[in-house]
Amino acid sequence: MRALVVEDEPLLNRELKEQLLEEQFTVDTALDFTRAEDWIAGELYDLVLLDLSLPGGNGLELLKMIRQQRNSENTAVIILTARGEIDDRVQGLELGSDDYLSKPFAMPELRARIHAVLRRKFKISDNVITIGGLSVHLDHLQVSFEGQPLEMTDTEYKLLRYLFLNKNKTITRIALAEHIWGNKIDDRFSLDFINSHMKNIRKKLAESGVPDLIETVYGVGYKLNGYEA
Amino acid sequence: MKLNNKILISNAVLSLFMLLITGFGMYYVVNTTIFNELDSHLLQHKQDIQKQVLEDPSTLEEIVILGGLGSYEWIEINVYDESIPQNSNHFSTVDTIRYPDTSEVSEAYRKLKTTLTVGGEPHLLEIYEEVAAWEKISMTVLLSVLGALFLWVILLYVVNQFVFGRVLSPFYDTVERLEQISSPAQVGEPFPEPNTYEIRVLNRALNTMLSQIKSSFEDQKKFIQNASHELLTPLSIIRQKAEKMLSRPEKMDRKSLRRLNEIQHTAVRLTRLSNALLLISRVENRQYEMKDEICIAEVTKQVLTELRDFIELKGLTIGENYSDEITITGNRELIHSALYNIIQNAIKFSPEGAAVDISIEDGESGPAFSVRDEGTGIPEDMIDQVFDRFKKGEKLSGDTYSSPGLGLSIVQSICELHGFPCKAENNAVKGVTVSIFF
Repeated sequence: MRALVVEDEPLLNRELKEQLLEEQFTVDTALDFTRAEDWIAGELYDLVLLDLSLPGGNGLELLKMIRQQRNSENTAVIILTARGEIDDRVQGLELGSDDYLSKPFAMPELRARIHAVLRRKFKISDNVITIGGLSVHLDHLQVSFEGQPLEMTDTEYKLLRYLFLNKNKTITRIALAEHIWGNKIDDRFSLDFINSHMKNIRKKLAESGVPDLIETVYGVGYKLNGYEA
Repeated sequence: MKLNNKILISNAVLSLFMLLITGFGMYYVVNTTIFNELDSHLLQHKQDIQKQVLEDPSTLEEIVILGGLGSYEWIEINVYDESIPQNSNHFSTVDTIRYPDTSEVSEAYRKLKTTLTVGGEPHLLEIYEEVAAWEKISMTVLLSVLGALFLWVILLYVVNQFVFGRVLSPFYDTVERLEQISSPAQVGEPFPEPNTYEIRVLNRALNTMLSQIKSSFEDQKKFIQNASHELLTPLSIIRQKAEKMLSRPEKMDRKSLRRLNEIQHTAVRLTRLSNALLLISRVENRQYEMKDEICIAEVTKQVLTELRDFIELKGLTIGENYSDEITITGNRELIHSALYNIIQNAIKFSPEGAAVDISIEDGESGPAFSVRDEGTGIPEDMIDQVFDRFKKGEKLSGDTYSSPGLGLSIVQSICELHGFPCKAENNAVKGVTVSIFF
């Protein structure tokens, strides 16, 4: 999943980025309004952490921009405000932000809110998605089969999680590559690697006796078939 | 050669040439005057003698004796031998020894050879007059005049050097500043307007031209930035539409799927290109703060973590040689981006299972970061352009999708902003080494 951190305080920006990296997000950062504007214009994010007072402009303008985009309902926005800025929070929620956090906040709170907005966004009730006995844990960053944890690399976990969240939808290889490596993907260079990763995942799943849930859609990408148990 | 030296030297050469001409001219004029004078003197003498022997032919003997005694001139009277016509005058300059018994040194004499009629009988008359004394005088005059003129030329050279230096100094200031300008970004203060008309005109013209170039350069950079930004939104719409159609592939035949895939790939490539242009123009427009303390080894490790997937899947061996701690001041995001691009290129062009060596050390040419791969290398005729925007080494790979593109241009503009030189060179055996010097 891809996240954008818009925060002008460099230290907090880095801290947020690291937190999101731990949550297995692919992260872009912006320290000012124009940089954020560039990112929002060109990329689609699953999550945006948005500080409102930015050098070069107001964060609410960025929120409007996100909401004007197509498919923008897919982007969860959490506004970061200083304590007391009630007007901003209200205006933010009115403009379509999914949640807000008052600074200073503790990282576990941020984590919980991120999980909450993602559950809402992907219309799931739990932090665990289980299909055909295979579970992807959003909070523990783990994959398990019938209660037994499976060994997966970070990239394999990210791929599985993305397919689980978008179950029964065909996801193109480019979209998968962008979810793993963000805007740094180098087209063909990374597309071949998606195939290799998927091969590895399938091998691991088969070895653990997991039924074949992943369908290769010829010339397009992959699809996870099945319904939540 | 500098303009003032050129003027000074051509002046001096011309003066010396004139001096020589004048010298020869003067020598000729003085000598001609002297000889004319001598000749008329000799003629007068002859007339005196003629007059005397006409009045009294018996004095001839006396004249011959006395004529031989003159210290600067002497007279010889011989029998007429018809070697010259009667009553004709022949002037000539001869080198002769007057007293062959006592002297061996010949001297120059002006000689008048003519005839003398004594009592109806023609005689041969030769009158000699010494020239040497006159020549000495003329030489002395000539040398002293030439010496004075030569001194004058030297003095003029020295004085001119000083005067030209002063007069031309605003011109040289302009030239010196122009020499330091290598890009429109370096145009600083306008050129001053000195009181010399030509230089003022020159500087004014330069000011107008440079400010126009600078502003159009700025406009161009801003345009690239705005245009790349404006491209992003429509591109993202194309991508999303394609993505949406591709998520229902069962409704399409294979041909349409393939075409749609190509549309999506192209849109992604254009997005990356716009992103790269945007980054380069932001760097060139100096929109980044440069006050982070950055540990190069730390950033390198981060980059390697991000690229871990590619390294593992290609089975590359990464050699990490961080022998020295290098910390710089700059922009963390940009330095990260530069190192990322260099390492990513190395990975991309490495064959499977090859080695990529990264070193951070304070070597002979100062602290440096360098990445060495075992790929195909860069064709020699491309190696100087490898950092130039859009001049990619197309021969590097037949696959246009994975050409180095703007990666190294990004590296170069970031290095330029930080003032770090960077270079790429082919290794002796195979592959390329790309380095940044801090």
